[in-house]
Amino acid sequence: MATTVITGRDVTFTIGGNNFDAQATSATLIGEMTRETYQTLDGKSFKVTDNNFTFNVEMLADWGATGSLCEILWGVSESAPDTGINTVFTAASGAVFSFQVLPSWPSAGGTAPDAQTVSLSFQVIGVPSEAF
Amino acid sequence: MPNTILDTIRQPLATAFASVAGNVYAYVPEAPMVPFVVMVPDSPYFELETLGKSQIRTKINIVISVAVAYNSNPASLDNLEQLVISVLKVIPAGYAVGTVDKPTVTQVGPSNVLVADIRVSTYYTQTN
Repeated sequence: MATTVITGRDVTFTIGGNNFDAQATSATLIGEMTRETYQTLDGKSFKVTDNNFTFNVEMLADWGATGSLCEILWGVSESAPDTGINTVFTAASGAVFSFQVLPSWPSAGGTAPDAQTVSLSFQVIGVPSEAF
Repeated sequence: MPNTILDTIRQPLATAFASVAGNVYAYVPEAPMVPFVVMVPDSPYFELETLGKSQIRTKINIVISVAVAYNSNPASLDNLEQLVISVLKVIPAGYAVGTVDKPTVTQVGPSNVLVADIRVSTYYTQTN
């Protein structure tokens, strides 16, 4: 099998139907398992009792721009903080994850010489569904 | 007409410098006249930082070279400092301004000029 390389440029995603390609510099979907360990007479036994996913996004701030994604995220955090937002994350063509995230406040401001950036860590509801 | 980097990045930057006391060039001319302000590529020139491939979006690093005649050292440095400050004042929104490098003496044609480089960066999106 030939070596496959995919890069961050293969990644695309939408949150609430809004495409983040123009602003996002990094997007990572991370899943973690809570695995209990039981010591039995036969040896160790393992059981996953919970799964937790987070969706981490780094993006260039776009406050004040027409169709600002920062302003959309701020608005939905204010108006519906407990409502899931449909998110579609494409790791590469043919590997698509669909899930819902809870709103997260975008930060504002930054250091003087650099472009303003926003770091977001979205809580994913449940386990993403995948299409491979 | 494609939206070229010259049309969307370098020329608007040059236009923003219309008020400074010097000749402004969006590209390196054959024989620049001092005092002058000229946009030249920095290294790395392009940095592909955003996700997705559907459009070419890239961070562009540019050096704004500011030069004055190098006749007497105190006056040349003062002239250069004033020109650098006047350029910094009119850099438009959307450009991240980095450092100003130390002045160096460079030969342009038959004469010496005192040059300082202002490092700026911005983002370009190819739309057509």
